[in-house]
Amino acid sequence: MTDIVRNTQAASTATTASTATTAANTVAAIVPSPFSVVLRWMSRRWQHFILAPLVLLWLSPMIWIVLTSLKTKVEVFDPDAGILPAVLNFANYPATLAVAPFGMYLVNSILVTGSILIAQLVTITLAAYAFARLEFPLKRFLFTLFLLQVMFPIYAIFLTNFVTLRELGLINTLPAMIVPFVASGYGTFMLRQAFRQVPSELSDAARLDGCGHLAILWHVYLPLVQPTLVAFGIISVVTHWNDYMWPLLVTNSDSVRTLPIGLGLLAKSDSGADWTRLMAGTTLVVSPLLLVFVIFQRRFIDSFMHTGVK
Amino acid sequence: MNPSKFNLSRRKFLAASAAIPVIGLAPGLIRSARASGPVKLQFMYPVGVSGDINRIVSGMVADFNAQHPGIEVEAIYAGSYDNTEQKVITSLGIDEPPSLWLPINSALQTFLGLDALEDITDLAKADDIYDDFLPGFLNTCISDDRLYGLPFQPSTPVLYYNKDAFKAAGITKAPDTWDELLVAAQALTLREGGDLKRWGLTVGGGWHDWIFECYCRQNELVPWQKDKVLFDRPEAIEALEFWKKMVDAGVMPAASTWQGSANDFLAGHTAMLYHSTGSLTNLRTSASFDVGVAFMPKNKTYGAAQGGGPLMIAKNQSDEKKEASWTFARWMTNTENQAKWSRATGYLAVRKSAWESAEMQSYLVEVPAAKVALDQAAYAGAFLQVPGYHRVREHLKSALDRTLAGEVDAASALVEANNNSNREIERLMRRQKG
Repeated sequence: MTDIVRNTQAASTATTASTATTAANTVAAIVPSPFSVVLRWMSRRWQHFILAPLVLLWLSPMIWIVLTSLKTKVEVFDPDAGILPAVLNFANYPATLAVAPFGMYLVNSILVTGSILIAQLVTITLAAYAFARLEFPLKRFLFTLFLLQVMFPIYAIFLTNFVTLRELGLINTLPAMIVPFVASGYGTFMLRQAFRQVPSELSDAARLDGCGHLAILWHVYLPLVQPTLVAFGIISVVTHWNDYMWPLLVTNSDSVRTLPIGLGLLAKSDSGADWTRLMAGTTLVVSPLLLVFVIFQRRFIDSFMHTGVK
Repeated sequence: MNPSKFNLSRRKFLAASAAIPVIGLAPGLIRSARASGPVKLQFMYPVGVSGDINRIVSGMVADFNAQHPGIEVEAIYAGSYDNTEQKVITSLGIDEPPSLWLPINSALQTFLGLDALEDITDLAKADDIYDDFLPGFLNTCISDDRLYGLPFQPSTPVLYYNKDAFKAAGITKAPDTWDELLVAAQALTLREGGDLKRWGLTVGGGWHDWIFECYCRQNELVPWQKDKVLFDRPEAIEALEFWKKMVDAGVMPAASTWQGSANDFLAGHTAMLYHSTGSLTNLRTSASFDVGVAFMPKNKTYGAAQGGGPLMIAKNQSDEKKEASWTFARWMTNTENQAKWSRATGYLAVRKSAWESAEMQSYLVEVPAAKVALDQAAYAGAFLQVPGYHRVREHLKSALDRTLAGEVDAASALVEANNNSNREIERLMRRQKG
């Protein structure tokens, strides 16, 4: 994430610098001294020399994935072949799509990840508000329980969760992948800390104006902790978008499965991975997330700078 | 299949211990299937070889369903072998196992310990199973003379070699003994200045314990019995000392990874490679040079441990379902389907008659390397069928790695792995009895 922050900084520096260069060019046209122009350019843009390699470093896995997805199988390992594919071989993409119904998986992934996010935002907001601003018996004890939940590895409770879901009759349905994650101890903790930083004078003032708890929450607290909500949202979406083991365990039919299971078909241990198709599949799986990130880039970065999460 | 996932076995123990009390209650809970409508079976399978195997399996299942109106099989892709095992054990834990599944053969004792497997000895004896299946493959499903599964997709390690590199080094034939292997590896190792350009030999890491068992078998030692391991025997120690010798001679890397070693071979960074027959199709079609396939070199004898898995039938289900499951398992392993499956995947066909079929004969003409794996299968036996084999494999791999890295000598590493493994096995068996 740090690199992205730097990228934006680089971008903004670039804009200011380019106006400056235009000015410098005008000056140079009057007083032709190429050396001083270069020197000035360097002094204004020295950050680029540090940032450009960092950008490349951050982008290189992405570039490599895309390039590999366009190669032929022999080319991937041929030491004589260059980094760039000799011919752009788009055939890997249809070949990947033929392995599994990726379109259906994509819809399921969006439904599951989206439902989890919405449900979590509701539950953690209410829970965090209660823990931050209300007094009730056993508050500390209950909060400790919430924190304990964060410490349990998900694998330790697979079987109990599975039994519960079966009793609810949810095995092999989309809700089976959603229900166990509708509450989040981590999110509650994060949001409670954010709520506690909101000055209580603000909520007192709202109460004097006749607001109830829900109105205070909606009009006072939530607008102020937006960055935390966004930060939590990213973490939640990335986690559940990429989750493999739980969806594999609770689903049987193609019609309810998610993207990582489709990817799993291509990463085979007996024979070595099918790299070209695996990379084509990876490109397909990460691109929706990348797209969302690019669209909301500025807001995401703001929120991370705000909450100090890196 | 992912050797680094230690938590898998922890989860499995949790699931297994939860399953034991439940299974005791099982017979009373079996619901009789409705008389009307087809018998519905669930079949969980892993995909261990890249390609469109899940398409092939679901195609086979669709064919079966079309030919058998009374039975409806649902094919459920369940990830890797480890994932599949976990999914099955979880369903056993809630007393609703799938009718059939396809685990790795090493899991036999694990499932027997859970009392999960239907004994199919009598059904098989009434059929042609004992006559037509290759005995080496059938043996991987036998415990105490009873049969608990039908082999479906066996594989063994073989020695792959780079024919171009052999030609350049003036070697005319693949090594046949350990000594020849060392000599060939020395000739094939390329160094320019102090820099290594090519290893002579690489043992596919991650599953090197599997290949190590082959070495033990080449020394006339089966390094396990159904309730203990025998890693501390002199034959095993000698095998590991030979590996160490190759590492010390600078012809073999001390460590590698399963996929990385295949990639190195394809990139020409190693001239010889121990890897699964399951990789044959991938290596053959991805390499920019001619790929040779040979027997694993012998010491006292040829020997191989078998990977891959059998079809197993659940004990905890109605008789009607058991019968339908048998029909399905029998159909999946019939001559015609085995020939098709072997040809499409690179796994070895399990029936003699399948190898004799016209389809396989033409395949052997096209890919003579497949014959090597079949011939070697005559020397193959089951791989590490002990309870808790996941943990045992980790102990053994740690001993191999530490020895090759020069931290301990072969004998003390293997003795330690042996004792740790046997303690683990005893603990598990006590728990299953109690």
